[in-house]
Amino acid sequence: MSNILEVKNIHSFINQFHILQDVDFVVPEGSITALLGRNGAGKTTTLKSILGLASVREGKVIFEGREVQGMPPFEIAALGIGFVPEHRAIFRDLSVEENLKIAERNKGDLDRKRTFIFDLFPDLKKFLNLRGTDLSGGQQQMLAIARALVADNSLLLIDEPSEGLAPVIIEHMIDAIRQLSEQSTVVLVEQNFLVASKLAKYFVIIEEGKSVASGLMKDLEADKAMIHRYLGAA
Amino acid sequence: MKTNLRKNSKAIIILVIIAAFLFVAARGMSGRDVLITVLRGFSTGSVTFLVAAGFSLIFGLLDVLNLAQGTLYMIGAYVGWTVYVRPDTFIDVLTPVLLILAGFSLSALWGRLASRIQLAPKARKIISWLLILAGLGLLALVLTRYPIAIWNLNNYSESPITYSYMADQGLRIIPAEVTFEKISPFLAIAGLLVSSAISAFGIALLNRNESRSQTINWRKFLVPALLLLGGILAAVFNAQITSWMFAMSTNWLFVIAILIAILSGVGLGALMETTLIRPLYSRPIYQLMLTLGLGTIGLQIVQAVWGRPEFVWPKPEFFTGTGGACPATNLADLLENNCSTVFLLGGRVRVYDEIFIPIVGIIVLIVVWILLKRSRIGMIIRAGVQDRQMVEALGINVRRVFTLVFALGVGLATFGGALAAPSTGLTPVMGERLLLSALIALAIGGLTSFPGAALGSLLVGLIQQFMIKYGQIGIPLPFTDVVFKPSPPLVPASTVLLMVIVLLILPGGLLGSKE
Repeated sequence: MSNILEVKNIHSFINQFHILQDVDFVVPEGSITALLGRNGAGKTTTLKSILGLASVREGKVIFEGREVQGMPPFEIAALGIGFVPEHRAIFRDLSVEENLKIAERNKGDLDRKRTFIFDLFPDLKKFLNLRGTDLSGGQQQMLAIARALVADNSLLLIDEPSEGLAPVIIEHMIDAIRQLSEQSTVVLVEQNFLVASKLAKYFVIIEEGKSVASGLMKDLEADKAMIHRYLGAA
Repeated sequence: MKTNLRKNSKAIIILVIIAAFLFVAARGMSGRDVLITVLRGFSTGSVTFLVAAGFSLIFGLLDVLNLAQGTLYMIGAYVGWTVYVRPDTFIDVLTPVLLILAGFSLSALWGRLASRIQLAPKARKIISWLLILAGLGLLALVLTRYPIAIWNLNNYSESPITYSYMADQGLRIIPAEVTFEKISPFLAIAGLLVSSAISAFGIALLNRNESRSQTINWRKFLVPALLLLGGILAAVFNAQITSWMFAMSTNWLFVIAILIAILSGVGLGALMETTLIRPLYSRPIYQLMLTLGLGTIGLQIVQAVWGRPEFVWPKPEFFTGTGGACPATNLADLLENNCSTVFLLGGRVRVYDEIFIPIVGIIVLIVVWILLKRSRIGMIIRAGVQDRQMVEALGINVRRVFTLVFALGVGLATFGGALAAPSTGLTPVMGERLLLSALIALAIGGLTSFPGAALGSLLVGLIQQFMIKYGQIGIPLPFTDVVFKPSPPLVPASTVLLMVIVLLILPGGLLGSKE
């Protein structure tokens, strides 16, 4: 199995702040990899660094065999990376339909993917004409994921999909992410260890801007000491 | 409930303002005066709207306060006037402009070449600046020798005022042609092209990191090739095109003048954004000073080229008829005789000033509205106003959209200038005045709201025109016999007063967002 994404010893900055200090991991194709770690450890910045939204000053980001660090974010994304950011970043002034439409990279993307997206999130169909402002948190999360599915993305970066959602909706979200991971590779940032352990096959732990451990999720689940040490709870 | 109240409170305030307006307006004014004043208000409002809408589009997406917008409005007027009154000058200038653009538009190719050159950072900086300076120096050398037929500010009989006056009388003086004397035509064309290409290469070398992933295909050469072809054709057929334009109906000449004014705005906007604004996105204060400075520079250039005295832009034939059944009382008469005025409710109304300008304003409002609401680019603009990073993370080149919006916003301003000039005349102070009105209109309507720009401009236009009218006929003050005539300085002051009232109640403006 080949690696779709390789992050090699990157150091990243947001403004003048040195956030990532040597993060290093690989993402095998066709799997779900969870980035774990405490608040402020640098998980979100890692996702942003892959997309070029945080500036990578050292190290390499290799996506599908191509070095992408230093490229403008829109070019990196256009190579086939979908981004579901923290807090969803739904466009409030656009309708749900427009929120999906804007993610088209080629004309007709949305029409092609429509059935796939609505099989995954049947609820979206009901409020297609509502504006982004009028959606609840769970609906926004569905829309944010659906938006990343419109274009043909081989890699999805999903940041905190369960944040602020009711348990029932979290279950639904887990099903959806598992289903879509059959089509594309997923890198998941997740605070909720239970959610992460249900979904991911691999894990990477980030601590104070450094990647400190990685491996198979089922090994981590068995290693209570490591969970306690890096994640503080279990 | 809360949002409901908020929406209602806005509506109530708007209604109160309009009701107060109507109440005061109706006192001591005949129905005819009210109609004319309202139409004039719409006219002023339309022109203000064009500038304000451009300003608000640019500010909404790019967070740039383009304080040069007033100067650009003025440039639009002067450029349009030149095309209309002195087509020969326009055609003479066209060749160098197109050739320079052709040289610069090969920047994609230069970027590709520049990325192949390996140099130490310091050496690269020095060499690129040397190239830029050498290119500009050579350009200046060629341009000063390039023959351009132009008016003479020092000789009254060849000044813009005289040309305007003669054109207004229907007597077109066709000025003497100028010929290549100081430089051969071939050398001039080659010099323009080479010098602009050298500076473009210098610029590409300076920002070579940005262009590393651009690919080259034949489409990248289409635009430069067309510009080059256009420039050469304009040079070769200079005399023919000039005499054709002088013989043309002034209606068509007017349309061409407006189009050129818009295009020059779009070009200037694109140039400003890519070369000067772009490096300063992380420094808003510098940007503010930059646009303010550019406005002042533009004003000085206009004064140097076209002079300080005020002159007119004669209206095209379609709006100047006086014979026959004029002033017209119905549409058929109006169209048949091209009347300059019509009778409406017993009052004489000027067709261009009080009917044509408002109609154009409304058309632009609708077109831009549709563009924002229905097109993909409009969708990207609306999304980008909220969250630029997310738009970029979807794989959309936001920078290109920035350039486009800046160009469009400046194009609206120059359009406004060219549209207003036949009605207001041309003077170097026209820009400042309008910038002030537009800023007040935006504060009233809401800074980043497009409908707000329209509403604010309309209110500003109406209040100005009512104050002007009252300056002539006087307001009978309530409960007294005193008749108050507002003096001219009260006209702008009244708009400021309206702004203060609105902002005290709604700090975000009438239709502005709450953030």
